[in-house]
Amino acid sequence: MSLEMAAESSEGEEEGKLSGGNQVLIVDEDLRELGKKAAWSVSSCKTGNGVSSLRDDNLETYWQSDGAQPHFVNIQFQKKVRLQLVVLYVDFKLDESYTPSKISIRAGDGFHNLKEIKAVELVKPTGWLYLSLSGLDPRETFVNTFMLQIAVLSNHLNGRDTHVRQIKVYGPRPNPIPQQPFQFTSTEFITYSTIR
Amino acid sequence: MEAILVDSVQNSLRHFLHSNAIFLSHRLCAQFPSETNLQLLAGCYLQSNQAHSAYHILKGTQMAQSRYLFAISCFQMNLLNEAEATLCPANEPSAEVPNGSAGHYLLGLIYRYTDRKKNAVHHFKMALSMDPLMWAAYEELCILGSAEEAVAFFGEAAALCIQKQYLNFSTSPKLHSSTEDCNLVDTRHCVSEDASPRQSKLMQGLKDISGNHHGAPVLGGTSGQPINSGLSNISFYNTPAPTMTQLSGVAPPLCRNVQPNGSNMSTQSAENSPRSTVNSTIQARRKFVDEGKLRKISGRLFSDSPRRSSRLSGDASVNANPNTTAVSGNGTNYSSKHLGGSKPSSRAFRSVTVRKGQPWANENIDEGNHNDILDDSLLNITSTTSTSSSTMEAKSYEQEAANIPVGGQVLSSSKVITGASEILTLLRVLGEAFRLACLYRCQDALETYQKLPHKHYNTGWVLSQVGKMYYEFDYLEADRAFGLARQMTPYNLEGMDVYSTVLYHLKEDMKLSYLAQELIQTDRLAPQSWCAMGNCYSLQKDHETALKNFQRAVQLNPRFAYAHTLCGHEYVALEDFENGIKCYQSALRVDERHYNAWYGLGMVYLRQEKFEFSEHHFQMAFQINPQSSVILSYLGTALHALKRSEEALVVMEKAILADKKNPVPMYQKANILMSLEKFDEALEVLEELKEYAPREISVYALMGRIYKRRNMHERAMLHYGIALDLKPSATDAAAIKAAIEKLHVPDEMDDNL
Repeated sequence: MSLEMAAESSEGEEEGKLSGGNQVLIVDEDLRELGKKAAWSVSSCKTGNGVSSLRDDNLETYWQSDGAQPHFVNIQFQKKVRLQLVVLYVDFKLDESYTPSKISIRAGDGFHNLKEIKAVELVKPTGWLYLSLSGLDPRETFVNTFMLQIAVLSNHLNGRDTHVRQIKVYGPRPNPIPQQPFQFTSTEFITYSTIR
Repeated sequence: MEAILVDSVQNSLRHFLHSNAIFLSHRLCAQFPSETNLQLLAGCYLQSNQAHSAYHILKGTQMAQSRYLFAISCFQMNLLNEAEATLCPANEPSAEVPNGSAGHYLLGLIYRYTDRKKNAVHHFKMALSMDPLMWAAYEELCILGSAEEAVAFFGEAAALCIQKQYLNFSTSPKLHSSTEDCNLVDTRHCVSEDASPRQSKLMQGLKDISGNHHGAPVLGGTSGQPINSGLSNISFYNTPAPTMTQLSGVAPPLCRNVQPNGSNMSTQSAENSPRSTVNSTIQARRKFVDEGKLRKISGRLFSDSPRRSSRLSGDASVNANPNTTAVSGNGTNYSSKHLGGSKPSSRAFRSVTVRKGQPWANENIDEGNHNDILDDSLLNITSTTSTSSSTMEAKSYEQEAANIPVGGQVLSSSKVITGASEILTLLRVLGEAFRLACLYRCQDALETYQKLPHKHYNTGWVLSQVGKMYYEFDYLEADRAFGLARQMTPYNLEGMDVYSTVLYHLKEDMKLSYLAQELIQTDRLAPQSWCAMGNCYSLQKDHETALKNFQRAVQLNPRFAYAHTLCGHEYVALEDFENGIKCYQSALRVDERHYNAWYGLGMVYLRQEKFEFSEHHFQMAFQINPQSSVILSYLGTALHALKRSEEALVVMEKAILADKKNPVPMYQKANILMSLEKFDEALEVLEELKEYAPREISVYALMGRIYKRRNMHERAMLHYGIALDLKPSATDAAAIKAAIEKLHVPDEMDDNL
């Protein structure tokens, strides 16, 4: 993963509305995917289209919910993590009325105190969508939380159930050198910062 | 018929026609079942890297040579318990170790890998005392950190010991008239002999080494055999052709350097390389040491072998000793003696013994052991022969210009001692340098290496060692040294793993991938090649692939400590600390003085905030490598985390002194000073660092923080601004921006970064 985020995406943003979507997933090198450390669960699913399809790096498989709206994808970590970005793959061309339309992202310590931190409306998306969790304040670059919940509130064409093909969550890379306030950036420092 | 078969087998081995050799040996054993013939058969299998077969053949045999070969097979199959039991039978605690110094060396390795360091050290010392030219044993001692100064092992006493061994040889009655071909055979044999013990080891490590060695040992054995069978018929021995051929056969294979008869060796090396552990290193080194000398010797090889062989044959026939061990030993000894010609007698002697034993050059031990067996058998022969021998012996000692057959040449006893002294002088320098290197006294080691004559210094092995020393404190010089080493000996793999790490540190991704490609092409089965490849991927932050490559290296040679450590580093990069810890611990099981693994463990515990553990492990690393500023710097960090900040400062000072070019301990010192609220001192240090590394963001960021604590807001703002301009990482940028926002807010205890 390298290069800048979403700069080349055909994504348009307009008052919380997202459309388009990258075909290729490109994420800043500063970030790393944290999903492996979390427990993933969904509010409901159809047999054979369960939560594992969200994490299998396969865009052919998808999670299909099976119940009343809203549908949830819950991501729970063992300790507080700093998250910066959520990326989803959805495709209106393939999923039509199953494509999510209104998405709300909540964060908190557990199910009891989730608060919404982001809300977007998707308009016929066709690929990877980048949902940044950063606030405007530099102090809010990251969301430091135990749990993230991605809620699908409604679908295109008023579909009941939803398809999501892949979800990834990203946070900053930790300082490779432990117990350091800042990361080393110059060659002089980096060369001497470890023994291999 | 038996003699002809034996001869033919040895001939095949000499020419690396293993399947032919194996087939004929089977016929031999079927027709003339005897333990000696079994040894030959097992030897064939070991030569062609089929230790399993040798294992089954020799299981339960009792002769010393058989037990030795069996132990080798067990060792290669990693059945260390059995190997130990064979060499040191539990019910015979005082039994002599078969094959003398070679046997002791093998035992030493067994004890080392079963965690019985004291015993290992004892046996390596024994091996050296019996065979002062067994460099491999000295290397092992250095690696275990228990070596005394080189002069103790490679001194005058050693020279005398070597001379004595040769004199014993020469005292065998010259029963046979000159036998022709022995000449060639002998000289070559001798040459290879010298190289053989070392070379076998080298072979393990170096694919490029021709399989000469392998041939030699077997040949030695076979020559022994015909001798045995021909005991009754001395004339058989006198017949030049068969004996000669045998000897000739023996010679070439052994003389690795002389005739790179690559096929055998290469295959064996290839197979061995996965297994070569320290051995390969040792071999590699020995190879380089030997190369120069061997070349000299080969020139002188083609001298008197016939005389030698006849003498040997004579001895053999004289020694109607039914003791097969002695006989087989003799056989080899004889051949080896012949072969060793050109090199100084001591060398030849060595090579002789080596030859005899073991076709499987894979194990250096074999080589060493063989030598011992040969020596012993020779000694046995001479001792078991009638008084005539002893009188002859006495005579030869008395003779001023006593002629001693050494490696195909006949040298006077004075020459022998001169030659031996020369070799030992060289080994002393190398040994001392190596010992210092293992103690990480880098400057001293480098100075000692400088004392070598140019032709020795400019060999791949020495330059690799020099590179390894520079690696400890100057990557650029290390790059240079390793580069030269590769020019000298492009096929050498030993030390190349360290070279790849040097390039990793220097972030030379082009050079690193080139190196890795070359190494893989040279030898796909060497752990070093995969270590280099893994480093390549790791440099590109592809830790999963890097890990796979390192795991492959581990598979190829589980006794290669560095591969384990590198696996550990990758696991930690992937934040899998549990597996990382396991890998580091595996590395330490192989080599408890592998300070990188101790360091790795310290870092993991530091990350996990288990500061007590962390400090302990950094201490262990420091004790092994006291001059590393990086280790000291982290030790200081751990101490500071344990709130032992005064001690931490002391350690940081040491770290700064250890390497003026390392800015990290200075930075850490500033950190500690800040936490102790000695702001001005901290700022002083940081100002210095600004000069040294003007683009280091963390310096400005820390200064900003300190200025804020001192309520010098403008200065703080200035420095935070500079830090931001230098484009920090997202995390740091966020932290700095947040800090700027909070500038005018009263101090909080700890910025939550």
